Amino acid sequence: MNASAWHMLLEGAWTTLWISGVSIAMGVTAGLILALIRLARVPVIDQLLVLYISLARATPLVTLALFIFLSAPTFGLQLDRNVAGILALTLNTTAFNAEIWRSAFRNFSREQREAAMATGMTPWITFRRIMLPQMVITSLPGLINEMSFLIKGSPAIAVIGIVDLTRVTNRISAVTYEPLPPILVACVLYMAIIGGLVWAQRVAERRANRLAV
Amino acid sequence: MSDLHATAGRQATPEPPAAGNSHVTTAAVSIRNLSKSFDDVEVLRDVNLEVKQGDVVTILGSSGSGKSTLLRCINWLEQPERGTIHIAGERIGMNADGRPMSVKALARVRARTGMVFQSFNLWPHLNVLHNVTEAPIHVLGQPRQEAEARARELLDKVGMSHKQDAYPNTLSGGQKQRVAIARALAMQPEVMLFDEPTSALDPELVGEVLGVIKALSAEGYTMVIVTHEMAFSRAVSDQVVFLEKGLIIEQADPETFFTRPRTERVQRFLERHQ
Repeated sequence: MNASAWHMLLEGAWTTLWISGVSIAMGVTAGLILALIRLARVPVIDQLLVLYISLARATPLVTLALFIFLSAPTFGLQLDRNVAGILALTLNTTAFNAEIWRSAFRNFSREQREAAMATGMTPWITFRRIMLPQMVITSLPGLINEMSFLIKGSPAIAVIGIVDLTRVTNRISAVTYEPLPPILVACVLYMAIIGGLVWAQRVAERRANRLAV
Repeated sequence: MSDLHATAGRQATPEPPAAGNSHVTTAAVSIRNLSKSFDDVEVLRDVNLEVKQGDVVTILGSSGSGKSTLLRCINWLEQPERGTIHIAGERIGMNADGRPMSVKALARVRARTGMVFQSFNLWPHLNVLHNVTEAPIHVLGQPRQEAEARARELLDKVGMSHKQDAYPNTLSGGQKQRVAIARALAMQPEVMLFDEPTSALDPELVGEVLGVIKALSAEGYTMVIVTHEMAFSRAVSDQVVFLEKGLIIEQADPETFFTRPRTERVQRFLERHQ
């Protein structure tokens, strides 16, 4: 592999990283908001969200990415590939994250909530100061798990023409006729990214031990 | 210590006295005609109780008598079906028009009560100092420095200042409960509510918590205490209330209650708990 191949690989890795990163950030936040809305049990909206969550969880990423990219023009939208890719990843991961947040909510200690209310905290202050900090810590293993699924599933966005870390190996070997070296490097780069997440997970678990009263 | 007590009585903001009930403004807690059911079971039946400023009232009764429910109604953790509760003259839970209070208004009245739970209910993600300062900072809007200075005084009062940086999971039950007491005191409540504060403790840890509560009573704090500790109740109370099946069947000063109970029910109860 020459310098330009390395350069292309790193560029592919960067594409995977930023598209996944944006999708993760939006998906974790949107999942929390959906979980909150679902807890309010607003009649019609609740059923719609349940429908979305089961659809999104049942649809393969490749299919979802293709569907979004190809159906956009029908709705008069000219979607940039990257936007379509991020949308697909976000729609997919949000559904899983919403379930993770919702179970963290439902399992949150009633006693602690009562203690917060008894000191005069409003539901919003209770959520922000007492519940959320602990829910983040208890949900992190599940959320990080979902993040690594997203990153490992992200090559699906190549189907709409995004040159990510997997797709780029194809391009390199098309020139060099040596498919093995680039794919090997790609594997190592994926492992480095996931490794970072696993490390974060371990730190999170160590902090979570404190919450076991 | 005495200066702490001086700041403990926060400025009361009573609602304009409605005709006929202006007398409620004098009591720290005034409970009128309170009734509460869980499904079909009546847990509280037409309960009336006045707690004067500075008084200590202990509520006794066998389990299932409704005593914890009564206490939890006072700060509206349980919502009664009928009756009214005033905290230092201010009605909790319902507006004058009989509609439920907004969550903000309810939180504001709740802030005038402090509660100590059987299972401590400290917030495990915060250290001891921050458990105490959390509500003063985020509910009362106290500056952090001021809240921390006051929290240290309170932790000193309950004998826990050496543990201010510790997290709850490293504390014993008795230590947790003493921190929980400091947390409740930090809001400078009109009344402290104790829900069986020593029932979850190992026997050798009960004394340290009861000792703290006794010290508070000597300082003039208004307290309502649900307990099974008879000797403690007798030593600390101005008034003893006995609940049976949701009814107050006996209410007296501790001397009378423990030596000359009127009802046979209380006589039997005391014999079993001597």
